[in-house]
Amino acid sequence: MNAADERARLLRARLAEEKRLTPEIAARLHTDWRTNGVIVQCVFFFLTCLAMGAFYGMCSVMSIPGEGVVTGIGALAAAEMLIRVKKWWATGVEIALWVGGLFAMITELPSSGSPESMLVLAAACAIAGRRVRNPIAGAVAAIFVMMWFERRFDLGVLSALAMALGAMLLLLRTWQRPSTEWLLIAIAIVMPVAGWFTADAIWRNVTIILYAAFAGIALVLALKKRHHAFFFASMIGFVPACFELGRLIPTPQELKLAAAGAFLLGLAFIVTRILKGKTTGFVSTKTRYDDTLETLVTITAAPAPQVSAPQPTSGGNFGGAGASGSL
Amino acid sequence: MISLESELESLRPLLGDPRTDSLLARERREVFSLYPELRICAWAGAMLLATAAGLVLKNNLDRIGPVALAMLMGIAAIACYAFVWWRRDRASLADEFVLLLGALLVSGDVAFIESQFHLFGAAWYRHFLILAIVHGIGAYVFHSRTLLSLAITALAGWLGLRGILDSGDPADYALRAFACAAFVLLGRLANRREEFHGTYEHFVAMLLLLGGLTLSVDSRWYAAGSLLTMAIAAAVVWWGFRTRREPFVLYAFVCGVIAFDILVGHIFDEGILLFFIMISAIGGIAMLFALHAKFKESE
Repeated sequence: MNAADERARLLRARLAEEKRLTPEIAARLHTDWRTNGVIVQCVFFFLTCLAMGAFYGMCSVMSIPGEGVVTGIGALAAAEMLIRVKKWWATGVEIALWVGGLFAMITELPSSGSPESMLVLAAACAIAGRRVRNPIAGAVAAIFVMMWFERRFDLGVLSALAMALGAMLLLLRTWQRPSTEWLLIAIAIVMPVAGWFTADAIWRNVTIILYAAFAGIALVLALKKRHHAFFFASMIGFVPACFELGRLIPTPQELKLAAAGAFLLGLAFIVTRILKGKTTGFVSTKTRYDDTLETLVTITAAPAPQVSAPQPTSGGNFGGAGASGSL
Repeated sequence: MISLESELESLRPLLGDPRTDSLLARERREVFSLYPELRICAWAGAMLLATAAGLVLKNNLDRIGPVALAMLMGIAAIACYAFVWWRRDRASLADEFVLLLGALLVSGDVAFIESQFHLFGAAWYRHFLILAIVHGIGAYVFHSRTLLSLAITALAGWLGLRGILDSGDPADYALRAFACAAFVLLGRLANRREEFHGTYEHFVAMLLLLGGLTLSVDSRWYAAGSLLTMAIAAAVVWWGFRTRREPFVLYAFVCGVIAFDILVGHIFDEGILLFFIMISAIGGIAMLFALHAKFKESE
């Protein structure tokens, strides 16, 4: 899919969201490629992985030598056939075939357990991501690179934030391909979270400073350039900084959580009030927003307090407004 | 950063000047909505406050005492509901999450009271019914789909759907899921608020599919469970087409494929099973592609 097709696809999606996609405009923006939305892509990715896993297992059961190579070659051939002949693009199938195929081939390599194995996995994701221009595969490749840095030099946090910062700076350029922009957004948002998992307690102060600096830079860029990715990167950056800072403050956990919660809720309330009635610049106009994930997390975390059958009273645990209550 | 200004300019004759100008203003970021960021902030704030309230209950029981704690939590919840009610004519984005916080505090408080005072004795699970009723009323008074979701989840808790296979008997769990689906379906039939239809219908579909799949993992009922799941999946796919909502089609289809694989897994040995899984997945992709294309065509 070339840049013009990618841009036409993006514009078509935006106009459809705005309910301004008339048949004439749809015809103007038509491309021959068959594409899917994100949720449909996830479903196809799952089904394709299922099929590939079953094929790999079948080769094993039938004692076919080099089942990884056989599966890999078959998957890559199928992916290329679908892309070149059937014109499938961003359907969820090609990325599963490319990533799965390369990973299946990697299973045939002798396992040494060295940190460099992370680079092999990173290369597989990067190649697959580059071929089908998938931002998630690119972000996963970046995570493997970060894991290599962590294992080899103990620099997981630093490398993750450096990659995220680099992605944010590259986002300042005007890009022709939407897929390039999405890759940079994915790296800017995913890497700070991934880096946090490698943060060591002995480096807590440095972690706080690094994340706060990253979040601050992202916030400045967000206010100046008005891009959601910068806002989200900033929010994500502040979470580890505040969490790690909270560990250093010797006050009860509930007080710290309440303070953070009141701050966020109050901030949303005040900013909404300030922006009320504004029609230019920053506004708080309702945009298309899928609250499915929000609702799922809410009902999973909160509504069903696990109160067990009567027992002698001895304290309890009511985290999540009683969601985890157990006596 | 991507800019689609040139493409929008080329579509100006088709879009018209006012629409093109408004789209261009957004493209140039002259108008930039902070709605998603503010929403996430408010939601995270409500969840953190609710978690803090839970910790207050846990950590201060000995110091403050159960009665005072329960009252404190109740007053906080009432304050949240009162605040939202007071501002109902000029509600902003944050009010929705103050309401959510109130509902979460009620959930925590009711659970805490039951755990401390054992008002229902052995029938302790009945407190879920109270929560279902309170959240249900709240949903209709404040037009909140989140509260409706909380109400239905509490109803499921009352019927014994707590966690995955909590009861240990898949058939019993499946029966409870079907019963819950029947209750929710009744709610859907009685409902006159159009914005709630989708929430009811998704819960009905998911509870039915959950019941079917749970039955299909029971070694005594796997055949009936798998066939039932496939039948339910077909019905949900049909409903998705009828109401023009693709998520129904997607998750029902995946559940149908899983049910088919479970059934085949009981009939054939490993080699043939893997073959069937592969075939069902490839067939599923082909069928889903056709369904998806049909969906797009009819849009």
